[in-house]
Amino acid sequence: MLIDDENLFHLVFEDACSILDMALSIEALDSSDEADRMFQKWFPEDINHERPQCVFVDLNIIGSSFDGIEMIRKINHEYGNGCVIGIISSSQDQVEIEKAKAVGAQFWIIKSDEIEPRLEEFKKDYEGYRTKSLPFKVYK
Amino acid sequence: MVLPKAVRDGLLKIAKEKKLFLEGNLLKIIEPGTDDPAFAEYLKICKERDISSRKKRLEVTKQVQSQNTALGHAMGEKETLMLNLQHALEQAEDAKKEAEQLRDAAMDDLDLLQKKTQFELINIIVKVALVIIISVGIIVSIMYLFAILYGRETQIIGSTWSNLLGILLTNAFSIVGTIMGVKYATDKH
Repeated sequence: MLIDDENLFHLVFEDACSILDMALSIEALDSSDEADRMFQKWFPEDINHERPQCVFVDLNIIGSSFDGIEMIRKINHEYGNGCVIGIISSSQDQVEIEKAKAVGAQFWIIKSDEIEPRLEEFKKDYEGYRTKSLPFKVYK
Repeated sequence: MVLPKAVRDGLLKIAKEKKLFLEGNLLKIIEPGTDDPAFAEYLKICKERDISSRKKRLEVTKQVQSQNTALGHAMGEKETLMLNLQHALEQAEDAKKEAEQLRDAAMDDLDLLQKKTQFELINIIVKVALVIIISVGIIVSIMYLFAILYGRETQIIGSTWSNLLGILLTNAFSIVGTIMGVKYATDKH
């Protein structure tokens, strides 16, 4: 799942993931409120509902009630966790990175024109995130 | 996932006749099956075409995204310039107001200086006039006194002294009043 207010980035991300053979299906949302509603529906009412294996959240989601860090906090602490989750943002603000880490983000991917090498590196590390054996990492 | 033979044949036929190929992530889950090099080749072509078109789209999307970013930055710079311009205009307006205030103050000072100079001049003239009046009064009084003491004819000088003293006293009071007025006006400013 990708939560990002920039619709154009949805296309970039979906194509990059497809080319890198990272995912078969990507749910791209442009609002954290929408994602929040989906997770609320799954947890705790439908706890066995198949949820995204991995969630990429933008830091600043324009038009949403809360930002990516709060979204991660909600998923990790209110909606039962259970998925690999991290930030994908053009920001490199160390304070924000630390905040994301504190709420349980597992990675921080820095958005740029050349996103593929970072996603490829992330793909290699994915198993470590899934098993929670890999520490927090920033992909620059 | 292995497709049924009829579907597999249909796909190969469409590809051959209409150059229409499967695309999308569905290709990643379709298996060619065993001993089927033709369908394996078909799937390979489909994947290559899919990757090729995705790469093209990705490049275009990135270009648009990059242009959007540049446009956003340009808009930001424009807004900053507009704000700076507005700020500069406000500063210019403030400076104009300040200059006008200084000009008004200078005009007031100049006016005051002119008035002060005029008052001082009037003061001097009036004082000189007063000195002359007193001097004339004293001289005529001395002459009248001499005339009385030495027994000379006093009728003409007496009436002259009397008239002159009246006139001089009247004028002296007028002059003193003028001096007081000038002094008051000068002190006030």
